[in-house]
Amino acid sequence: MTSLLRFPGGRLVGHAAFVIIIWFLIMRLNDSVDPLANYYIALVAMYATAMFGMVILVGLSGQVSLGNGALMAVGGYVFAVTSLHWQTVPILGVPWNGWWSMAFAAVGGIVVGLLIGGIAARLRGPYLAGLTLGLAVGVPAIANRFPELLGGESGLMITVPYPDGGYAPVEEEVFVDGTVEGQSGDASSVAVPSAEATVSPDDMLTLDNFPAADASAAAPSVDASVSPDDMLTLDNFPAADASAAAPSVDASSGDLGATDLSGAGDLIDAGFIIERWQAGLAITVACIAAFIALNLVRGRQGRVWRAVRDDSIAAAVSGISPAKAKVSAFAVSSLFAALAGAVFAQILSYVGPGAFGLGLSLSLLVGVVLGGRSSLLGAVIGGLLLVWLPEFVLSLAERGGWEDQITNNAPNLIYGLLVVLVVLLAPGGIVGSVQLLISKVTRRAPKGV
Amino acid sequence: MTSFIDYLIGGVSNGAVIALMAIALVLIWRATRVVNFAQVGQAMFTTFVALTVQTVTGSWVLALAVAMVAGAILGVIVQFLVLRPMRRADTSGAIIATFGVLIALQAAVGMIWGGDAQAYPQPFDNAGIVAFGRIWPISVYDLVVIGVTILLVVALSLLFTRTSIGLAMRASAFNPEVARLSGVRVSRVLTFGWALAGVVGAVAGVLVAPSSTVSPTTFDILLVFAFTAAVIGGLDSLVGAVALGVFAGLVISLVSGLSNSGNAPVVALILLALSLITKPDGVFGHHKARAV
Repeated sequence: MTSLLRFPGGRLVGHAAFVIIIWFLIMRLNDSVDPLANYYIALVAMYATAMFGMVILVGLSGQVSLGNGALMAVGGYVFAVTSLHWQTVPILGVPWNGWWSMAFAAVGGIVVGLLIGGIAARLRGPYLAGLTLGLAVGVPAIANRFPELLGGESGLMITVPYPDGGYAPVEEEVFVDGTVEGQSGDASSVAVPSAEATVSPDDMLTLDNFPAADASAAAPSVDASVSPDDMLTLDNFPAADASAAAPSVDASSGDLGATDLSGAGDLIDAGFIIERWQAGLAITVACIAAFIALNLVRGRQGRVWRAVRDDSIAAAVSGISPAKAKVSAFAVSSLFAALAGAVFAQILSYVGPGAFGLGLSLSLLVGVVLGGRSSLLGAVIGGLLLVWLPEFVLSLAERGGWEDQITNNAPNLIYGLLVVLVVLLAPGGIVGSVQLLISKVTRRAPKGV
Repeated sequence: MTSFIDYLIGGVSNGAVIALMAIALVLIWRATRVVNFAQVGQAMFTTFVALTVQTVTGSWVLALAVAMVAGAILGVIVQFLVLRPMRRADTSGAIIATFGVLIALQAAVGMIWGGDAQAYPQPFDNAGIVAFGRIWPISVYDLVVIGVTILLVVALSLLFTRTSIGLAMRASAFNPEVARLSGVRVSRVLTFGWALAGVVGAVAGVLVAPSSTVSPTTFDILLVFAFTAAVIGGLDSLVGAVALGVFAGLVISLVSGLSNSGNAPVVALILLALSLITKPDGVFGHHKARAV
């Protein structure tokens, strides 16, 4: 594992400068847009964080994992439980704050990642995919096993540690009560139905032969409205603000080129905006993750992962341990997933089995495949797609007057079909295709991935 | 002790359904070295087709038959549109593509039939059979499920051992190149394998539907159980898939009965992880030396 930490010096500074500039620009953008756009930015940053890990795991080390949603659950639950139960830091005795929870989530992610990676390193493609599929379904179910600690089906509501709770000082403004309440109200309206929805899959094979014993179990599963849009649990969040969706989407897609900074000069601080603060947190975490990922991917470790992916025998002959490489890829991707999970928990102010289900894992896979399996930029584009497409479909649906059941499922249908098409026609995803196009125009060989 | 035995007996019909789904996975793996994670999506689609047929006509047998035909067609479509054009080298791609199909199929089901869980009408008596002075934890419907499964397994083994198409399937799975040289039309045989797997998966879906509700994502957990059974059974072995499928049903029934139904996925995960640690090629699998 020591090779993980061997950063090349010159690149380190370059990457740091690059990431800081990006961080600064996106933070300025974040300050200049309305709360709904902040919310979208937070989601994109959260997805990007998790998908940096997917790029390393799926793209570079060639291990198709569906378990990263479950690893996000690890991060989210560690964050929730530590921030709910610990007032002071053990041993040190200083007051607890959100950053400590984030640190614990990160450590938890690495530990679980090493554990799973240890098993996964022995496995080939479909076996690994199946094991991680089991993780995606099994890990959220663990929450039901410990209802006192983890809240069971209904999950845990967490009070996000606001800046005066110990986070870096942002604005010393008084909270606007309405904003805070509105936020938590929205979170519960999203969270509760999706949490109930997970009842029915679990009951699937249990309602058979013991009518008396299982009658109570049957009741919830019948009226549980299993939402097919579980995949993106937040789809219905902005339903009330649908009219505001279109302009804000434009704003958030502008942060790729970071050119849309026209409004950045006049910061309107009309009070503390929780969405803006959450987005700032998500952006910061994503940038830290991007910095780590850039150094790993473009350094020696990235070459090690690619070597093992392309030909593990040749890699072993060259003195690389394929098992170590696979485990380290798992650990890094798990770290990123746990950080993303902790951020997700704060965006939702909630953790629950429904929020971290198979759908989340699948959407991470979709995002990373569409954006570009082996490109960090692809992860960001994938995150944008995951947030933008449902909103785009919603706006189309409003214009076309579609039925709800069409609207709710259209994004996933598009995702599924796009994934198949991308795998068949353009395995490099959006970024890979653009690179290929550029190399054709300039008549140079494409950069190795 | 009686409750322990009751749970075991009650688990057999669940195990039969898991075994069927595991067989579907094994059939495709043997033929094309692809684990078809979309299998439960296909089964969900055909189960909703069956539900529609049954609501219109009221006939369970007709619904089952239509689902089987739909399963075969859907299997062929997936193979033709997705797996056949796939580049052979891209193993990650094949896995990802089957998940893409799963996502799309679940969304399509949600579009056509809605995302809410729907009850599937119980075709036979689902109360415990009363005999020898007690109520047994097994119903007429469970017996039907077990019977249909046995019938299907026997038919499949006859197909593989006694018919020329079965021989061709075994030859194509064993060595496609040699099979092609011997005059087997391998690509047709592979397509037939996909259709067959679609039929078996469709039967599994229709059989399990009355004992739960049906919604686009209900079968996700069945995929995990079936995959677990298929992997522990070796992914290559029909016998293994059946044995481990039934075994998984028994374990799940025990766990659900003795503790809590929510623990079943966790137990499946533990079983899967343990078996992969100790025997990465499965219990019934053909052990092949593998480089590195």
